Amino acid sequence: MEVDSQEQLQRKQSTYLSLDENFEIQKEVYRGQQYSQIYFARLHMMRTLLYSLVPNWKSHLPVCTVLELKEGKECIIFGTLYKHMKLKPCILDEYSKERSVAPLIKPHNFMHQDDYLVLEDESGRVKLGGTKLSTSVYVTGVVVALHGKETSAGAFFVEDVLEAGLPPQIKRPLKSREDKYVVFVSGLSIGRSSSNPLQFQLLVDHITGHLGDEEEQGLAAEIVHLVIVGNSVEISRGLLNGQNLASKDQSRLCEPFKELDILLTQIAASLPLDIMPGSSDPANFALPQQPLNRCLFPGSTTYNTFRSCTNPHCFELDSIRFLGTSGQNIDDLTKYSEAKDKLDFLERTLRWRHLAPTAPNTLGCYPFTDRDPFLIDSCPDVYFVGNQEKYETCLLKGLEGQLVRLICIPRFCETGVAVVLNMRNLECHALTFGTQISS
Amino acid sequence: MSQIETLGILEEIQALVSDKLQVVSYKWLSRNFLVSSNVAKRLLAEFVEKHGSGLEVVYSLSGWLKNSPSNYHIQLVTGPKLSEAKQVYDGNCRVHVYSVQACIPKDLAALWNTEFIQAEELFKQPTSVDNCLRDNRFCGISNSFVKRNVDGTPAKVATAQPNSVGISGLSIHNSAQFSAPLPSQQNKVQQSSSKVAQKPPIVVKGIKSDSISGGVHDLATKPSADKEKNTSFPSNKKKGQNDKGSTGNGGSLANFWDRASAKPKTCSAPADNIDSIQNSNDAQISACEAVEHENSDIDAQEVNFGRASNSEGNRKRRVVLDLSDEDEYEDAVNLASPDPPKRKSFLGSIQNSKTSVPERPDVDKPDKDEVTVKEERTANREPNRSLGEETSLGSKSTNGKNSSSVKLESQLPETDLKKDKVTDASRNSPKRRKVLKTRIDDRGREVTEVVWEGEETEVKKVESDVPKKAGSGATNATTNTVANTNSRYAVGTTAPSNPGVKTGNKKAGNAKDPKQGNILSFFKKV
Repeated sequence: MEVDSQEQLQRKQSTYLSLDENFEIQKEVYRGQQYSQIYFARLHMMRTLLYSLVPNWKSHLPVCTVLELKEGKECIIFGTLYKHMKLKPCILDEYSKERSVAPLIKPHNFMHQDDYLVLEDESGRVKLGGTKLSTSVYVTGVVVALHGKETSAGAFFVEDVLEAGLPPQIKRPLKSREDKYVVFVSGLSIGRSSSNPLQFQLLVDHITGHLGDEEEQGLAAEIVHLVIVGNSVEISRGLLNGQNLASKDQSRLCEPFKELDILLTQIAASLPLDIMPGSSDPANFALPQQPLNRCLFPGSTTYNTFRSCTNPHCFELDSIRFLGTSGQNIDDLTKYSEAKDKLDFLERTLRWRHLAPTAPNTLGCYPFTDRDPFLIDSCPDVYFVGNQEKYETCLLKGLEGQLVRLICIPRFCETGVAVVLNMRNLECHALTFGTQISS
Repeated sequence: MSQIETLGILEEIQALVSDKLQVVSYKWLSRNFLVSSNVAKRLLAEFVEKHGSGLEVVYSLSGWLKNSPSNYHIQLVTGPKLSEAKQVYDGNCRVHVYSVQACIPKDLAALWNTEFIQAEELFKQPTSVDNCLRDNRFCGISNSFVKRNVDGTPAKVATAQPNSVGISGLSIHNSAQFSAPLPSQQNKVQQSSSKVAQKPPIVVKGIKSDSISGGVHDLATKPSADKEKNTSFPSNKKKGQNDKGSTGNGGSLANFWDRASAKPKTCSAPADNIDSIQNSNDAQISACEAVEHENSDIDAQEVNFGRASNSEGNRKRRVVLDLSDEDEYEDAVNLASPDPPKRKSFLGSIQNSKTSVPERPDVDKPDKDEVTVKEERTANREPNRSLGEETSLGSKSTNGKNSSSVKLESQLPETDLKKDKVTDASRNSPKRRKVLKTRIDDRGREVTEVVWEGEETEVKKVESDVPKKAGSGATNATTNTVANTNSRYAVGTTAPSNPGVKTGNKKAGNAKDPKQGNILSFFKKV
C-alpha cells in the first residue's frame, strides 16, 4: 500500500534536563533516625535565608531565640510553626479505622476554631497569640520570622510575619520562540472500573498524530513533551488486603499495567514522556516517591523517550524550569488549612519556599539527615500539581519580577481534561475529550 | 491508492461490519491494511458514502469551543448528532469518521476494544519485531529522535539526565559484564561437562579430597531449597573462589540440580563421604585457604554453573548501586540494595580464579562478605556451618576483590542457599520437613524461620559465637538446635524487606569479625 504522498510532519524537539537528583534516595542510609534532622536542616536553611531578609524588613529590631525572650521586649524570632489541632487524627484512630474494610478516607478538613500556633526553634517553644498570624492559613512545618513581644501570659504576641517569599528566578533568555507545547495529564486511573479507556486513547491518538486532519496534526506536531502526573493505575482494593491471590486475581492485578504499557508504548514511540508516581501507584508511600520501576513497563522502557521520574519532579525544557507534584502535598494542605482555591495553596508553598511543609508531620516523608529536599531554591517557571478536582491556572507575579504559571491538573478519568502549556508565552489551555455518545 | 485496492478494502470493511458485526475504526483499519491513518480515514469516508446506509457511523469532532475560550475539545458523536454537536464549536471544527459499526454499543469502551485487541497483538510480538505499533509509522507526525533499544535493556535516555543515564548505563553495563564472562565460562563448562553430566553422588565423591568443594557440591545438590533466603547469602562469595561464574549452562546442569534437589536421598550416599570429609575438617580448616586450586575450582565451577543456571533462569540480575560500609553503620540499611553482591563473586572469580591473597579495594565488601558469611552460617544448618565457615575464610579475600570488581548481582543467594541445603541434604537424614515458623525475637523483630523437622543422623557442631548475637533469629534457632538434639535445624530466614533483622544478623556477623580465632568453636558442641 502506498503511503501518503504528502510529506509527514516533523515533530518539534526540545532539550530536556532532569533535576531530580535531589529527590532520589538511593544514596540515603537509614540508621533508624527520626525526623528531627530534617526539621533541623529545614530550620537552618530557612533561618539563614530569613536572616538575610530581616534587614530589609525591620532592621531596627534585635533577633533572639525563643528562650531569650523577655517580657515586653520587642524582637524578632525565627522558628518552625507548629499548629496544634484538636481534630487532627492520631495514629491510634487511624489504626483502628484501618482494621475495617473502609475505602480511602475522604480528606476532609481537620480545622477547628480552637487551633493555635506555636513557634519552635532549637531552644524552645512559645505559643503564638495575636490576630496577625492566621491559624487557618499556616500549617505545621512552615519556617517564618515573627516580630512581636512576649506577653505576661508567656505567649508571644505577633505583630508582623515575614515569610521567605518567592525564591529568585533564573531569567529565561528572551529569544523569540516558536510555539511548543507541553501536555500534562494526571489521574488516568487505569484499572478503575469507571475509567473510560476510549478517552485516553483519544488523547493518545491526538498527541501522536493519528486523530484529526492535517491541520490538527500540525497542531499536534508542536507538542514536544508529555508529563503524566501520578495515579496512572488503580488497583482494586479488594486485591490488596494482604491475602494470597488466586491465579485469576493475579492476572487482574497486572492487567492495568499491561494496558498502561501498551498505551505508553504508543506515546513513547512518538514523543518524550515523563511518568511520575502518585498516591495510588505502586511506588513508595513516603515522599519523595521514587520513580516507578521500569519492570512495570517492559514495552515502553525500550524507548529512549520514556522516563520514569520521581514525585516531586523537577525538570527543564528548553531552559524553562518545571516543578510539580502528584498532589499529595496540596491535598495535605487542604486537610489542615484553608484557602479559596487550590492555586492559593500552590502560591503559599512557593512563598514559604517549601513544597510540602506538612511533611513529615502529617505527610509521609523519608527521614533525611542532612538536607530537606523539598526546599525550593529557585523559582520555577511552571509549577503544577496533579490529581485535583478541576482545571485551574493563573500567572503569579513576584516582587522581584518572577513569573510563574501555576497549574492544577484535574483527574483525567473523571473529567477528561488534560492541560496544554505553550512554552513560548506560558499560556495554558485545556484539552478536553468527550465520548458521550447518546443514541 | 489504486481503485482496485480501494474497492477491495471497502468490500472487506463491508463484510466485517455487516457480517462480523465488528467495529471498524480508522486506526484499526490503518494497522490492519497497513495504510497511514489519514488514508484510512479517507477510506472510511468513502465507505460511508457508498455503503453507509444502515450502518452507524461515529465521527470525531475537534476544535476550539465557543463557550470556554481556551478549551480545545475533541469528542465523538454519532451520525444523527453531528450537526448539533458542531454548534458548540467556535468556527470550523474538523470532522472525520472515527469508526463504522453495525450498531452503537451501550458501553462506549466496546468501541475501543477491537482496536485495543489489535494493539495488544502487536504489542505481544517479540521485541525484535518493529511493528506499526512500535514505531508509530502510520501517524501523521514523524519523530526521528525516537530510538528503540531492541535488546530489551532500557534504552539510554536521549537527553542529559544524570541519574537515569547512570542507572540505565549501569544496567547496560551489567548486561555487558554478564555477557563477558559467559564465553570464558562456557569454555570451562565444556571442559568439565563430562563431569557435570554425572550423577550428583559421583560428582560429590569425586571431590572428596577437597572438603570445600565437597561442601560446595553438597550444598549444590539442593538448588531449589532456600529461595526465600535472599538476604545476603555469602556462601556465594565463599564459594566465589570456586564459582567461575554463573552462566546458565542451562539444560543439563539445571536438570542435574533439579534431580538432585528432588531426591535428597541420593545425596545420602555422598553424605557419608561428606561426613568423613567433615571429620577431617579440623585439619583442613587451616588449609582451606590454600586449597583453592584449579581442580576443585573447576569442579565447583560446574556445580556453580548449574546452580547459577537455576537461579539465572529464575531471577533477574539486580544492580547494586551502592553498598554502605557495614562496619560503620551497624543499624544502617542501604536502600540501594538489601543484598550483598553475589554475582560479583562469581564473575570476579573468573578473573582471578587463583587468588588467595586478598586485595581489598573495598573495605566494606569483604566485611559484608564476612558478615553475610557469618549470617549464613548461623542461619543454616550446623553441618553447613563448618564448611561454610572454611570456605568463607578461604574465599573472603577473593570475594572482597570479586565483589568490588563487578558491580553486578543476581539472585545467587539462592545458589548459596542451595549449596547449603545440599550439604544439609547430604549430611543429614533425608527425612526432613521444611516448616515455616514466624515468631518475635528478642529485639521485637518478626522472624520467619524455615525449620527443618525430621531426624538427624548426626548432630553437627554449633557455633559458640552464636549466643553472642543480640537476639537474632538465627541465634535463637541455633540455641534451639543445640538444646534439641532431635534435629531441629532452624534455618533463620529473615525477610529481605525487614532491615532490622538483617541488620541484626549482620551485626552478629560483625561481632564475629574480631573473633576469627573462634572458628574452631564451630566444631565444638556448646
